[in-house]
Amino acid sequence: MEAILNTQFQQLEDIIGEILKVKKSGHNSETLRTAAALKFVALKHANREVKHKIKSGRDNLHLEKCKVDISRLQLQNLLYEVSHLKKDIVRCEKFKSRDSDLDLLPDTEYATKLPSIAESKSEPESKHLKHLQRLECELRLRKDLDKQYSFLLSSKQELLQENLNQNQRYVSFAPALRTLKGATKPLHDALQLSLDVEWKLSAVVKYLPKPLYILFINLQSLQRASDEPSFNAEVVGYESEAQMQELTNLKQMPTARRDYSEKDIELSRKLTSVENPLDKALNPHPLHIRVTLGASGSIQLVLLIRYFDLLKCTTVWPQLSVSNNTNHQGDTNFVQHLLRHLFANDLGNEIPIPGIQYDLQNKDLTPEQCIRYLESKDFGKAYCWLQSMCSIPTVDSSMLYKHELNLNKSMREIIARIKRRWNAWLKLSQQIRGLTNKDIDLFTLKENVYPAALSCSLVQWTAITLEEFLAQNSDVLNISPDDKGITYNSYRAVIVRGSAKMECFIRIPSNYPLEMPLWILSVHWNGRHTSQNNSAIKMMEYWTNSLQPKQLEANDRFLYAQLFRTIYSFDIFLETEGSMQTNIEYNKEKPYISAFAKRCRLRPYKYIKKGSVYAFKQ
Amino acid sequence: MKEKDLKRAYNNVLSQVISSSHQYLFAGNLFGDIFVLSLKELDKGREEPPGKLKIFPQGSSVDINCLQFRRDFLIVGTVGVVYGLQWNEDDEVLSTKRSWEVKIPMQSDAVEVPDVNSLWLSPDTDTLFAGCGDGIIYQISLEDGRIERDYRGHTDYVHSVVGNSNGQIFSGAEDGTVRFWSTKQLEQTSMIEPYTKSQLLRPDWGKWIGSVAVNDDWLLCGGGPRASIFHLRSLESTCVFDFPGRVHVCDFVDDSVFIGGEHNHVQSYTLNGMLQANIPIEHTACYSTVWQTAPIKFMSI
Repeated sequence: MEAILNTQFQQLEDIIGEILKVKKSGHNSETLRTAAALKFVALKHANREVKHKIKSGRDNLHLEKCKVDISRLQLQNLLYEVSHLKKDIVRCEKFKSRDSDLDLLPDTEYATKLPSIAESKSEPESKHLKHLQRLECELRLRKDLDKQYSFLLSSKQELLQENLNQNQRYVSFAPALRTLKGATKPLHDALQLSLDVEWKLSAVVKYLPKPLYILFINLQSLQRASDEPSFNAEVVGYESEAQMQELTNLKQMPTARRDYSEKDIELSRKLTSVENPLDKALNPHPLHIRVTLGASGSIQLVLLIRYFDLLKCTTVWPQLSVSNNTNHQGDTNFVQHLLRHLFANDLGNEIPIPGIQYDLQNKDLTPEQCIRYLESKDFGKAYCWLQSMCSIPTVDSSMLYKHELNLNKSMREIIARIKRRWNAWLKLSQQIRGLTNKDIDLFTLKENVYPAALSCSLVQWTAITLEEFLAQNSDVLNISPDDKGITYNSYRAVIVRGSAKMECFIRIPSNYPLEMPLWILSVHWNGRHTSQNNSAIKMMEYWTNSLQPKQLEANDRFLYAQLFRTIYSFDIFLETEGSMQTNIEYNKEKPYISAFAKRCRLRPYKYIKKGSVYAFKQ
Repeated sequence: MKEKDLKRAYNNVLSQVISSSHQYLFAGNLFGDIFVLSLKELDKGREEPPGKLKIFPQGSSVDINCLQFRRDFLIVGTVGVVYGLQWNEDDEVLSTKRSWEVKIPMQSDAVEVPDVNSLWLSPDTDTLFAGCGDGIIYQISLEDGRIERDYRGHTDYVHSVVGNSNGQIFSGAEDGTVRFWSTKQLEQTSMIEPYTKSQLLRPDWGKWIGSVAVNDDWLLCGGGPRASIFHLRSLESTCVFDFPGRVHVCDFVDDSVFIGGEHNHVQSYTLNGMLQANIPIEHTACYSTVWQTAPIKFMSI
């Protein structure tokens, strides 16, 4: 451009110089002037071009400037970002999640508590993700717990409020009762109710230890509720004694550590050396409860219930109270067993109080020692059922903890049970007495299902020892259930008809009526026949032993029914056997259709009665 | 004493049978229970502890008097009825539903429902012969459960019924007779009365015949009278066995004779009356035996 301008200026200069020369020469310079003017046009053009170029250059410059500005701005931004990120990195590096302090659920529990999550993403990609998941779960669980907590808190508040209300009502109850009592006094007088007297009588009751008190109050309420009380409960002992013991108990507490005077020490030494240490430790509470079952005038069952402070349990000792002077030897033994088999696995062989052995250890005693002592002193046994009647929690031999709270129901049940057992036993002992003394008429008793006369007669019924009974080695004895602390009374009965004699060995279990008397038969007639060598006798024995109480009518006496079954079975045995004999000793008297049936030649022991027709069948 | 213990003490197995697969033993008792025992369990060489005896009660007032086995049915004879029970060998379960039952008809003068005392299954003709408490033997077709005919003649109940392949039926009864029948003839073909022979009669024990067994030429019977072998054609007693009790079971086993009954031993004799074996038993009396030789050789008494 510059070159162009320079050339143009040069040309213009040249032209102007020529014009000057021409003018000087005086020549017409017209053409030259046109040429010069033209040169100005070109110059002008060049000038414009220059201007244009400058402008475009400026524009370009501006453009570039803008670009630089933008990139600079970006750079600034990036720098800022870098610094920001650096700061963040530092922060991140410094960051420490609080979750590491948290105790998370162990894996297994996590899987069980939130199985859906654990299953849906069975294999989370990284440990971190898994951790996060678990944290989330934790959060949810915690939120739940929080909800529960607040709920429980509010319910607690409500309960407290209710408690307060009830308390208020309770507090106001006594005065209300008192006013009621005062208000109804004239009514009592008018009705001639002597409530005051009754209350005074039972003043001694308040000295009863707590368990006995509960028992007594419950018994008394039961007694009052029933129309005709079948039992009678009373407190035995003196108020003064109870007061004395309470006082001594109080005294012993503070003086336990105080020095005794010489005399006292000597005295106490003498006492302990002479007496059994157990005597002192196992002193029953001076008051005890006496429960009498059965109508007065007949044989009554008396239960003496005592409480032992040290053992924290109650014991019961049963007694027979006989009003008339009949012979009841051996019966007392039975009475002991009556209570033993009241409930399964409750034989009273241990002290059923939880943790009692540790308590006793502190006093250098063992539970066995205590039980032996209680036994020797006739204080009886600490049965679980008795404790439950007194609302004492128990553990039985299989370490089962039990605390009876529905006292009313359980007590009714227990008493009904004792009564049932007692009545069953009374009936049984009456039967045994009747058989031993032979003051029963075999032919008129209603247990005799077979109306026509029996041909056999019972000639003897005696008590025998268990050894004598066991000498009859029968198969039945081998299949005896596991020993449950049952003891047996054995008897021998002899039944005679003509030349044939049958010996019956009867074993009566102590837990009658849970188990039935067992009969073992032995026939002496043309040799000795037992269930061991004669299948007919075996079936006869089965027929007698298979008799169950539910097959009898109400009020039937079981032992008699068994006896009759045995007797007519024996009759039938002799008569069927006799039918084959050459010299017939026994004729057919019983109504049976056929003497034998089936391949095993069963004899018709079964008695069938249809209307007025009766017969014996196989 | 509880009912279960009583049953154990006075258990009385009246009948036994082996399944057609020779793997299971069935036993029925007086209290209406059927016991099933897998014979494999008895093999002492096996390590596994013996499985429990399976018990299938059939009702309290019925006795399982006799049992037979046919294909996969257990045939049970009780009081007044013969019925079949399906035996499922895979599950070792006896069906509780009766697959079929045949009622024994009551005779017009009968006062009691007759017992089914003995069953004999004719292997060729699918015919069941039932000796019953009314002294009649019924021939029952297993195809349709029809009673095809009856054999009358015994004056007291039938103890035992057996037959042989010639279509002859033999029955021993409480009346003391052993009667021979033929499926082709209405009346009995012949009869023997062991109690009339002085060498057989035991006066104190009656004249009844408790058990009868036959093979091709010989008949063995016993009961109140002594057990004895008779020749089938001459009807003469050839040999007397001196079993010391009442005879309730007797049979031919291989070449010897086997006798059991109300005695604490069961005995095995040779055919000419020599005592071979004296086996003590637990029960007072033995009412049934079964045996097999293959696949497991064993005898159950």
